[in-house]
Amino acid sequence: MKIVGIVGSNADFSYNRLLLNFIAKKFKKLIDVEVLDIKDVPMFNQSNDQTDSDLIQHLNKKILAADGVIIATPEYNHSIPSALQSVLEWLSFRIHPLDGKPVMIVGASYDVQGSSRSQLHLRQVLDAPGVNAVVMPGNEFLLGEVHKAFDEERNLKDSETTQFLESCIKKFIRFINVVNVMDSPDGMKDLSSTEDLYATGSIDTTIEGINMSDDDWVEQAATKTNAVEGNTYVKLDRGILTVDQINQFLKSMPAELTYADSNNQFLYYNYKYEAEDMLAARRPEQVGNPLAECHPEKAFSGVAWVIQQLRSGKQDIVRTHVPTHGPDKFVVHSYQAVRDEDGNYLGINEYVRDIKPTIDWYLEQTGQQLTGGGVDAVSGATSKVDTVSGATVKDK
Amino acid sequence: MKNLIAIVGTNSDNSTNRMLLHFIQKHFADRANIEVCEIKDLPGFNKPKDRTAPVQVQKLSDKITQADGVIISTPEYNHSVPAVLKSTLEWFSYTTQPLIDKPVMITGASYGRLGSSRSQAHLRQILDAPELKARIMPSSEFLLGLSLQAFDENGDLKDQRKIDELDAIFEDYLQFVDITNQLVNSNKAHKQRAQKFSWEDN
Ligand SMILES: Cc1cc2nc3c(=O)[nH]c(=O)nc-3n(C[C@@H](O)[C@@H](O)[C@H](O)COP(=O)(O)O)c2cc1C
Ligand SMILES: Cc1cc2nc3c(=O)[nH]c(=O)nc-3n(C[C@H](O)[C@H](O)[C@H](O)COP(=O)(O)O)c2cc1C
Repeated sequence: MKIVGIVGSNADFSYNRLLLNFIAKKFKKLIDVEVLDIKDVPMFNQSNDQTDSDLIQHLNKKILAADGVIIATPEYNHSIPSALQSVLEWLSFRIHPLDGKPVMIVGASYDVQGSSRSQLHLRQVLDAPGVNAVVMPGNEFLLGEVHKAFDEERNLKDSETTQFLESCIKKFIRFINVVNVMDSPDGMKDLSSTEDLYATGSIDTTIEGINMSDDDWVEQAATKTNAVEGNTYVKLDRGILTVDQINQFLKSMPAELTYADSNNQFLYYNYKYEAEDMLAARRPEQVGNPLAECHPEKAFSGVAWVIQQLRSGKQDIVRTHVPTHGPDKFVVHSYQAVRDEDGNYLGINEYVRDIKPTIDWYLEQTGQQLTGGGVDAVSGATSKVDTVSGATVKDK
Repeated sequence: MKNLIAIVGTNSDNSTNRMLLHFIQKHFADRANIEVCEIKDLPGFNKPKDRTAPVQVQKLSDKITQADGVIISTPEYNHSVPAVLKSTLEWFSYTTQPLIDKPVMITGASYGRLGSSRSQAHLRQILDAPELKARIMPSSEFLLGLSLQAFDENGDLKDQRKIDELDAIFEDYLQFVDITNQLVNSNKAHKQRAQKFSWEDN
């Protein structure tokens, strides 16, 4: 997600700039933040229109291209600084790049109140018809006594503050998604925003307090939950196995199995082969990641669509053939909804199989042959008309 | 007669707030000496290391210090005070602090019906900040809505009811100036305290 961060201060040294830089660095796995300065923007003057100047056009273009904007405002005399006010005047005079744009407000100031009053003013300004931004409600992130807040590495000292900031950022991501869904025209559209692919929420089983992106998420999560392993017995529906037995049993399944929960977090795969030997590559350090980190951005819309089909109950299973494995294989990805007894969506069981050996075996066992529209779906199958309709595999 | 400074809160060449202040100057010529001052050529505020005001800011500031009171007329930009007026007040708060305990009357004109009510509310809060600490006249708002249609060719307000309203507020204001200056003079300590306040030494 592309986010523009606007430094609401024109001071050479600005704590609000530090704050935005910290956000950009700390949460780079969640959002891609470009920090923009307003230092050299001229004072707004309606009698001396400089809308077309490079500086203002630069801000204009960056904001238009962004999914959302974070504004970090100091407090000057209980309000926002004139420098920021002036920028917003330029951006509401002849051009309106903030119109409909999701905006999050943060602020750092000297007072313990930490820009609370200036944030209120900023909300009112952003709400004016010429600006018309869509400001995220609540979640005020106020950094008071800012001269004591950062360490030498320019990180926030207080871990609780950082955690709260993270929760605000995650809410902002969801807020952007909601705003986008509200705004998207019907018909062909990018569906990526219909699902929280960054897993910013949580469900009952979410293991809190561990960074989902960490390579050793599994180890950290196991320690945190005192997870059992090895020869400990686990009671199942229906039977009893040791954890080792469960592992061997799942690894022996004739498919690559993956479990992602309803929060869109990748929780498990039956790790038997290394990534390069798998039909759908998985790496041990990916476990725990939000689904967004398991897919390239261009796949987000498709991934979101599949999850929506399952979550909404429109379908129980979605299958796709992935043809990139050559003619000797017919690889199918099946996305199977996992539901509880009441039908509530719990997550996805994705199983990936090469079904060609199964079909070959079936044909061999029954002595039947495949027919299909001139092009053979499974290579080597001859095009002799088959009288048994059930054995016909349609070409895709 | 009292000496008052009237500040045009905009840098726009054609300003109905400027017209309003010139009308006030003319209309109350026998009640007070009013000098209309511009802020349009002041540099934009940018925290100076030495806390020194640029010459133009210093000049305006000196006039305010010598005056009995200040009238500020503000447009409304995006429901708030225009940047150029904010910038002026930032200079004052960060350098010369001439508004401390100064009796201030706020007026405002806007093209729409609401007559800058929202920007006046912001301006009150700003003037109340510890580095400005102006004495703002309470419970009086002079809002001039539909300001493009409000003046005749002589620059006079057309609507007699608006003029009556302004007369009443201005009389109140002259009294407010007296009371405030009495109060302030009897309490010098207050001024010293305010002048010492700085966010960044806290
Ligand atoms: C960037 C910009 C934002 C404005 N926003 C408002 C507003 O929020 N409310 C309003 O009444 N007028 C708004 N206006 C119109 C004002 O210029 C006008 O109402 C103003 O108060 C007139 O003052 P003046 O004649 O002294 O320039 C806006 C104008 C500009 C250039
Ligand atoms: C003109 C001026 C007015 C200020 N007014 C306030 C204020 O009302 N409340 C506050 O908490 N800090 C105030 N401060 C202090 C700012 O919080 C401090 O300068 C802060 O570092 C500004 O953010 P920045 O570092 O991102 O520029 C003021 C500073 C200046 C220069």
